[in-house]
Amino acid sequence: MKLRMAVVVALCVGLVCGIAVTQGYAQGGKITVYNPLGTPPPIEMKAMAPRLNTLDGKTIYLVNTGFPNSGPFMQVVGEWFAANYPKTKIEIRSQGMSNMPPALKEEIGKNADAVLFGLGH
Amino acid sequence: MESEFKIPASAFLIPVFKEQAESVSFTAGMPGIRIQYLQGTVWGLTPEQIKTRIIEGVNKHTGQPMMRELITKLTAPLTAAEQDMTPKKLDVGPATYTDTEENLHKLFLEKRYTDFLPVVLPTKERVDAMLAQTSHDPDAFLGRMHPGSVAGETWTYTVRHAAIAAVMAGAKPEYLPVILAIGSTGQTAVNVSDNGFAAGAIINGKIRDEIGMNYDLGAIGPYAHANTTIGRAWSLLSINGGNCGKVGTTYHGTVGNPANLINVIIAENEEESPWEPFSVRKGFKKDENVVTLLNGWGILSARNWQVTDWSATPTYSKTVQDIYRLQNPGLFGTFVVLSPPIADFIVSEGYNTLEKFNEFVTAPDPNAKPKMPAGAAKPAGDAAAKAKAGAAKPGAGGPGAGGPGGAPKPKVAPNATSGAFGVVVTGGRNNNYWMIGGLAPGTSVSIDAWR
Repeated sequence: MKLRMAVVVALCVGLVCGIAVTQGYAQGGKITVYNPLGTPPPIEMKAMAPRLNTLDGKTIYLVNTGFPNSGPFMQVVGEWFAANYPKTKIEIRSQGMSNMPPALKEEIGKNADAVLFGLGH
Repeated sequence: MESEFKIPASAFLIPVFKEQAESVSFTAGMPGIRIQYLQGTVWGLTPEQIKTRIIEGVNKHTGQPMMRELITKLTAPLTAAEQDMTPKKLDVGPATYTDTEENLHKLFLEKRYTDFLPVVLPTKERVDAMLAQTSHDPDAFLGRMHPGSVAGETWTYTVRHAAIAAVMAGAKPEYLPVILAIGSTGQTAVNVSDNGFAAGAIINGKIRDEIGMNYDLGAIGPYAHANTTIGRAWSLLSINGGNCGKVGTTYHGTVGNPANLINVIIAENEEESPWEPFSVRKGFKKDENVVTLLNGWGILSARNWQVTDWSATPTYSKTVQDIYRLQNPGLFGTFVVLSPPIADFIVSEGYNTLEKFNEFVTAPDPNAKPKMPAGAAKPAGDAAAKAKAGAAKPGAGGPGAGGPGGAPKPKVAPNATSGAFGVVVTGGRNNNYWMIGGLAPGTSVSIDAWR
């Protein structure tokens, strides 16, 4: 009886070990698996721009990014600047949901002292 | 803009995007960029409500008037932390993990490597067995992917990453060339948009039968191992290889979309279709193994629409036209999944070629009122026919694609334009049901190039 049990136990242990090996088990019931994550992009640090010491005489572009109600929102922002910073020039533009048109980018680079995008909903 | 023109730049965002904005700013190399968060969404407010609630409102988190905060962001000198240019990198952890199976399953869940269903853990043995089905170097670049817009960074992944996703999804090794072909396009299955977009793929060619894809009853549902696990592998590759679908940073679907789990995988029923296969319309040879990617709103039963004809003898071509006109142009056009009996009805109604059917469906509506959602393209007619007419542009990415796949370049057809009309035939003959919705066909790639 004891001999039969010992044989059964030995066979079971052997079976489990066999499965463990084929399934990639290491010692101690542990297995090694791949990290599934891809490769993130390298980060290229970019310097922030100096801030403005005053808004008087400056030109701020408000760029409507085309999401629902962004247009009216930027209009109200523009009206607030007109009421509170009358010496600041506000230019409102629309770029739609796609990337900024090159002509608008060139215009901002040439004329703007600051730029505000809106909005992320 | 801030780094290029050396001028202060800021953006108005609602607070729910804070985590995403910080993640994107970090990887863009300007973690300190000053963003102005609003009190809540602006969509749906009148200009007066915008003024009183938002512009003149007080930030409940800081106690400051919102516009005063904005002025400070434009004028307050940069802090030391904002001027810190110390190089930074994203840490994705070790290449492998060793632990008990139970603990690894927990780890994969905690790290959000899964779709919350059980996965097959990607041991070297299992991944190697998968990789044996392709001649490509496991470490070769396969694709680059972002979550669907510039709202997230672009990650890259290798052939091995796709094999890992395939193992995790429970796919059989013989499915790998299809999964690699999909991965090579760079199109995510899990778009970041708060719209909660769906993605899909049309499979053409003999490989449908070789790997046991279902194109009969229940064709686009989870009723075949190949269809289900290929779709799931695409989502898992998107989640892990492309870092997509991470709620709060790279996923913002307001309500979400259940299609993201296994996607809309369509093995075309070429044998029961009265027309040429979708891939042939995209410029490939008949019987060539091809996958064409789709993205958009998704599809649902044609019975959903008010214009559906419930009479005993409906005219299906007219119903397709009526639905097309209802949603034309739409951001993603109109995409029809016809069951074989419906396709036969349409042929019997006089449309024995898809050219004739396209012409009928997309004919200008004499009663149409102008309507064009922001960002929508003009209607373009049949997407596949358009693509076939154009010259092939190797390397073209699909809608939302981060870029083309790795070498050697598979045969690639050009993108279709959104606002198009597309047709594919699949499913069984047990009844007169069919599906329709908004899905734009994009890149088509050879599957055999990835064997």
